[in-house]
Amino acid sequence: MKDAPAATVTPDVCLLLEGTWPYVRGGVSSWVNQLILGLPELTFSVFFIGGQRENYEKRHYAIPPNVVHIEEHFLAGSWVPKGAPISPRRQAPVQLLRDLHAFLHHPDEPSAAQGDALVDAFAQGSVTLDDFMYSRASWEAITEGYERYCTDPSFVDYLWTLRAMQAPLLMLAEAARRLPRPRMIHSISTGYAGMLGAILQRRWGCNFLLSEHGIYTKERKIDLAQAKWIAEGPDEALRTGLDVDVSYIRRLWIRFFERIGLLTYKAADPIISLYDGNRRRQIQDGADPARCRVIPNGISLTQWQDALERRPEGVPPVVGLLGRVVPIKDVKTFIRAMRGVISAMPEAEAWVVGPEDEDEEYAAECHSLVTSLGLEGKVKFLGFQKIGDILPKLGLMVLTSISEAQPLVILEGWAAGVPVVSSDVGSCRELIEGSIPEDRALGTGGSVVAIADPQATARAILALLRNPGRWQAAQRTGLARVNRYYTEPLMLERYRELYQDAIGRSL
Amino acid sequence: MAGIGFELRKILARDSYTATLRAYVYAGLISSGPWVLSIISVMLIGVLATGIVTPNVLIRQFLVTVTYLMASSLILTGGLQLYFTRFVSDRLFEEKQTSILPNLVGILLLVTLVAGGLGFVLLATLFDQPFAYRLLVLANFVTLCDLWLVIIFLSGMKAYNRILVVMTLGYAIMIAAAFMLRFLGMNGLLMALLLGHAALLFMFLYDIIREYPADRLVAFDFLDRKQIFLSLLVTGLFYNLGIWVDKFVFWFNPLTSDAVIGPLRASILYDLPIFLAYLAIIPGMAVFLVRIETDFAEWYERVFNAVRGGETLQHISQLKEQMILAIRQGLLEICKVQGLTLVLVFLLAPQLLAWLGMSHYYLPLFYIDVVGVSIQVVFMALLNVFFYLDRRDTVLMLCTLFLGLNLALTLLSIELGPSFFGYGFTVSLACCVLLGLHRLDRVLDDLEYDTFMLRH
Repeated sequence: MKDAPAATVTPDVCLLLEGTWPYVRGGVSSWVNQLILGLPELTFSVFFIGGQRENYEKRHYAIPPNVVHIEEHFLAGSWVPKGAPISPRRQAPVQLLRDLHAFLHHPDEPSAAQGDALVDAFAQGSVTLDDFMYSRASWEAITEGYERYCTDPSFVDYLWTLRAMQAPLLMLAEAARRLPRPRMIHSISTGYAGMLGAILQRRWGCNFLLSEHGIYTKERKIDLAQAKWIAEGPDEALRTGLDVDVSYIRRLWIRFFERIGLLTYKAADPIISLYDGNRRRQIQDGADPARCRVIPNGISLTQWQDALERRPEGVPPVVGLLGRVVPIKDVKTFIRAMRGVISAMPEAEAWVVGPEDEDEEYAAECHSLVTSLGLEGKVKFLGFQKIGDILPKLGLMVLTSISEAQPLVILEGWAAGVPVVSSDVGSCRELIEGSIPEDRALGTGGSVVAIADPQATARAILALLRNPGRWQAAQRTGLARVNRYYTEPLMLERYRELYQDAIGRSL
Repeated sequence: MAGIGFELRKILARDSYTATLRAYVYAGLISSGPWVLSIISVMLIGVLATGIVTPNVLIRQFLVTVTYLMASSLILTGGLQLYFTRFVSDRLFEEKQTSILPNLVGILLLVTLVAGGLGFVLLATLFDQPFAYRLLVLANFVTLCDLWLVIIFLSGMKAYNRILVVMTLGYAIMIAAAFMLRFLGMNGLLMALLLGHAALLFMFLYDIIREYPADRLVAFDFLDRKQIFLSLLVTGLFYNLGIWVDKFVFWFNPLTSDAVIGPLRASILYDLPIFLAYLAIIPGMAVFLVRIETDFAEWYERVFNAVRGGETLQHISQLKEQMILAIRQGLLEICKVQGLTLVLVFLLAPQLLAWLGMSHYYLPLFYIDVVGVSIQVVFMALLNVFFYLDRRDTVLMLCTLFLGLNLALTLLSIELGPSFFGYGFTVSLACCVLLGLHRLDRVLDDLEYDTFMLRH
């Protein structure tokens, strides 16, 4: 599984990446790429964790020269028994296995000491994958948990669920034994990567930095709520959505991610989030407020300088939504809002800029909505375009998403001189209105409206388009804010400092 | 043996004395039929030949030749029988019925070639009998080897009346042929034997060909590496060797045996009681088949359907308790019926032996042999349960132990003198059954752990 030759130099930072760089394109991956490229004076080792090997066939990013070691491990299959071992080869640690089950799966709230002991056991390798998979002690721990707590009938499902949770953890802990020892650890999520970070920190005694873009545990909860692979009992389909009625298997999964998330938060210092809302969420999930910090994403301003310079005088009556045409972007609310805008301001136009192939059904619905609202020729679908060419032609950028973290497109719009109207999701309000007092003092870089509210969105758009004074103020604020708080050099500088501090403390 | 359980259950479901009796008769026929009927027929042939085939030593030569034919064909094909039974039931489970017949043709081809080649070499090198004798022995050997493989399908067949008819017909042909050909002496008797077994072989084959559709003429899928269970081959070999090893010890010990024909030796003292004793296992075998294939198999299915079907652990454990109960009752019933048979045989033995014209010196050996073969029924039932639970390792261990113990204890019994003859066989079986019961206890105790953690 090793790719680069074993590191001859001690890597400065061991990056623990779950399902992102270098295999998957996306916000987190490009951020990782930015980080590695932006800090060429540091060396990195990469421990990549994927679900199934088949899903990660092609690397989308070139491996920079300062990545001195990269290895990848896949969770799928770790829980499939490899055939019965002939005889119990070693005495499995009975109490440890029971504690492991109690901590990860039982409903009673575990104590900090229990978590600590668990991380110790993983770090020292006192519980092995074979112990968990085959030992009698493990069987007793599993059946005890099943008999005491499980409210779903199927024992087979319970067993496989536990296997699918624990086996990857133990497999990773064993795999990471051969990892070259770095000066510090940096995980880009909680979950399996974060848990591994906690284990490796204990084993190596170095500092462990955690950065979260989204909130892993929350995202898993959303995934699980929609997961169809969890068998629904006949009764469950009839029940209401109350938490107590959720199938026990679902609750097991949620509990598992919460508990390993908790262990990650207990181990990591500092704990980084992209914006204050996520920081509060981390604290609510058990992170120590004293360790939590916000480091927003940054963009490279030089890239948008050109777009800013090409801007014509005045305010073009063009409103743009930049994003994929998918339900999460709520393009329909944007179209409905434009009905109101165009009624009041007939010369206005709306552009939807982004690929439509991801959810073709939804895209077709959007097109027919445009027709039924009589907006043909006014709302245009431009497909995928270079943002740099589009931004100078826009008078306003609109974001109607129902979920975002810290959308880079807002920063990019500002850098190109476009004010933004956004729904109140993720960090959008913090971005547009400012977070800390001196940031707020800069003013607003546009408007924030409630989600799925076409009337309010239309009012906010008109208020900016028809009021050049306000528009200019918003443009100035956006430019000033992105320059002061959201540049790539700033982001890199903060991480450089964190790294140096963490490495220094380790020495 | 999936088919027979189903059919037996159907008959038993009629819930009348005659239906129950019929179920047991069928079960007895299928489980011990070919084996016991062969012994009876061969003895009958011996009786028919008396006075016609002279001198009398020729009849003895014939009987010993048949015994060696049986022993060697069973030992040679024992492993294949087990292995091919498993192969067929796996294909049935996969619902690949069409590949069964081509593979049967394939394995018969292989067995015919191997048995023919081996027989040819042995007969050419070790025997100096007339050509006709050697040819007939070779033909009989190959036919028997093939027959043992075809008989696997008996339990899967649904037309029980037909099995009854075929068996009656086959053995009738054998005896009738012996009656007509006895004037040819030894060769006539061997020819009758060949005719009878060949008739059985081809009639059963005819039925199988009618019942199973085929997509090819011949196939050798059973030789695929991954489908071969080497342990099954070894198990079958050791089991059959185990059954015969005490006889071989007696045959090749100069003190207890004499040369009969060519290199073949026999032990007058040892052989007759044990073959007679085998007639006493019919009741036990019938009960064994009915109990194991109906009650136990039914609970076994329920347990493993519950495992796969996502039942609660508690429910699975309850079903397992029921399955254990079925095993216990089955074994107990075998013991009861076989015990009763034993008592009857003990009571009637003196008259029986007198009636057969055998000396009462045989009595002690006959008694211990009847006990031995009765234990053998329990042993077979245990092995079958282990096969159901897919504990091939345990079966192999027990069969290896049986072979080793039977060899060692039989040698010891010869050292100890005539009053200990037969104890080697019986004591080794008793040891294996005790150990098997102990293992079964452990296996059943750990069934859930084993099923879920080690085999799931």
